[in-house]
Amino acid sequence: MLRTVKPRNARSKRALDAREAKEVEDVRTAIFVKGTHTGEVVNGVMKELMALKRPDAISFSKKNTVRPFEDASSLEFWCNKNDATMFLIGQSTKKRPAGLTITRTFDSKVLDMCELGIDKFVSMAEFKTPKSTPGHKPMMHFASELFDTHPRFIQLKSLLMDLFNGEVIESICLPGLEHVISVTLSPAPSLQTANPILGESQDEDLQNLPKVHIRTYTVKLLPSGTRVPRVELTEMGPFIDLSLRRHQDADPEMWKAAMRRPKLKKQDLEKGLGKKRKNMEVDEMGDLRGRVHIAKQDLGKLQTRKMKGLKGVPGEEDGDSQDSEQEEASRRKRKRD
Amino acid sequence: MDVSNILASHAAKYQSVTVEKETPLDVDAGFLTVTDLTPIDEDSYQSNLEDYLKSTARDGIQALIAALYGLPTQPSPDGALAQLPEPTTKLPRAKPLPKPKPPTKWERFAAAKGIQKRVREKKVWDEERQEWVNRWGKDGKNKEKEEQWIHEVKANADVDHDPVKAARDERTSRVAKNERQRLQNAARAQTAGGEREERKKDIEKTLASTRISTASMGKFDKKLDGEKKLRGVKRKFEATETSVEQEKQASLAVLAKLGSGAKGPRKGKSAGDDVLNVRKAIRTVSKGKGGVALARETHRKGAKGKRGGKR
Repeated sequence: MLRTVKPRNARSKRALDAREAKEVEDVRTAIFVKGTHTGEVVNGVMKELMALKRPDAISFSKKNTVRPFEDASSLEFWCNKNDATMFLIGQSTKKRPAGLTITRTFDSKVLDMCELGIDKFVSMAEFKTPKSTPGHKPMMHFASELFDTHPRFIQLKSLLMDLFNGEVIESICLPGLEHVISVTLSPAPSLQTANPILGESQDEDLQNLPKVHIRTYTVKLLPSGTRVPRVELTEMGPFIDLSLRRHQDADPEMWKAAMRRPKLKKQDLEKGLGKKRKNMEVDEMGDLRGRVHIAKQDLGKLQTRKMKGLKGVPGEEDGDSQDSEQEEASRRKRKRD
Repeated sequence: MDVSNILASHAAKYQSVTVEKETPLDVDAGFLTVTDLTPIDEDSYQSNLEDYLKSTARDGIQALIAALYGLPTQPSPDGALAQLPEPTTKLPRAKPLPKPKPPTKWERFAAAKGIQKRVREKKVWDEERQEWVNRWGKDGKNKEKEEQWIHEVKANADVDHDPVKAARDERTSRVAKNERQRLQNAARAQTAGGEREERKKDIEKTLASTRISTASMGKFDKKLDGEKKLRGVKRKFEATETSVEQEKQASLAVLAKLGSGAKGPRKGKSAGDDVLNVRKAIRTVSKGKGGVALARETHRKGAKGKRGGKR
């Protein structure tokens, strides 16, 4: 920003305060930018992804010359102006046809980027099936062991999760779970363990990387005998096949700063957020049941009401000393006398 | 009676909801994500791609749905609301963590006294009109005094006493006071991070006291370069011959200060005293009797309570 905006009225002040950093963050808003040349494929993919990301997506209508891997200044400017923290840049050049770059920012500076090449794309319109309601949160499914082991795929999984499901929410309406975005990799025969010693060249490495298949399905819940329904999937939405191209890893310092967590407050810890919730379980009906442990009560020491009229025999009283008993007896004797 | 047939047919109607996999699926319910770490089966991949993808997805989502339906739920008009747990996958933040703001003067006092924060509702019940009115804002009750069409004025009031103006002035002065206190809090929060400045002030105070800690109280010492000029107390010397009356007064004053012990042992202020005046607090709570009496009272009440129960 060229100058800091000073709020003139309460409404603009509220808007400015909403942009400030919070302990628990909001959803990342994504900006969809088109480069100088985009083809039909790239346009289609951008449109469909924006439909999946709505309402937290901003689309730039004009084409912009932007080279994310060389110069990130225009990205930072857009990030500040629009209060958006993710970018999807689509452009198609001769050398890199049908390219899509996903960028993440931290503190209005570029954190990491991944460029993907679109191999195959089938749009939503081709599938004559019912679609999910826009604005509902998607479920995500990742299938391959490489998502845990290979650093590039770990980055890709993190980027896709941040793009669609990054928000921390407290509760979700179970009937509202309508669609799934499933990301699968092709089998990787020659990529069981990365060999840094051999020093493979970049091109060879890129060609050997397995392809990424993104599929979107609508979920149908069928009744089963138990409380958990059976899942049936129907195709909906875009089918995209991608291959990995260039990438930029995050600066380790910046990554460490981005991964800092707020300290859990004492009351949250006591409620059991930081550690496992003890003594609480969900029974079959879905109700939350808690257990309260009380110490065993010593019924001998129970303090009951003292009924003076029932105090007939001196021996019945608790804790009476011998002296008082004798005194009582002597007093009675004196009275009789 | 053999019910196994009926049970078998019933079970066959509903298909299974369990998913069997070699490696267990990694379900992150907080982010509604499931990761399947089994390696991709090359044969099924080559033969029928879409079906294979769909079936793996179906299995994964079945496990996720099973996990989600296992969470505690709350009823709501749209259906059951499942309470999601904290997510397990760590994603990077978009903005850096906010710096904790230093507490304001009121917040420190409330924390010391144990006052809980209470949020007031915007609507307040108006007995006359028998309806809920805004406390402030449009048609707010705080402007009631100004907007009245008739005012009672005291008999001895000034000729140009304008009750509307008086009420409006009172309200604007309250607003101005609030704004002034807010700015003071903001200024204090800005400079609060200056531990260096506090230490600097400390050092300067120590230096000043050392400069007068010589035999002649620093009067004849040469001043070094860079030292600030000391502010001294000017001593007033009385004349050698004063009247008898004046001498008598002076001596009696000295005796009074010495003998009574009224001031008592001077105790320095402890840590929390800049927020809460402990002396005054004890005096109010003990109704003038003092700290020892208060302790005795609370001890007695405690002992009684332990023995008590219903009598």
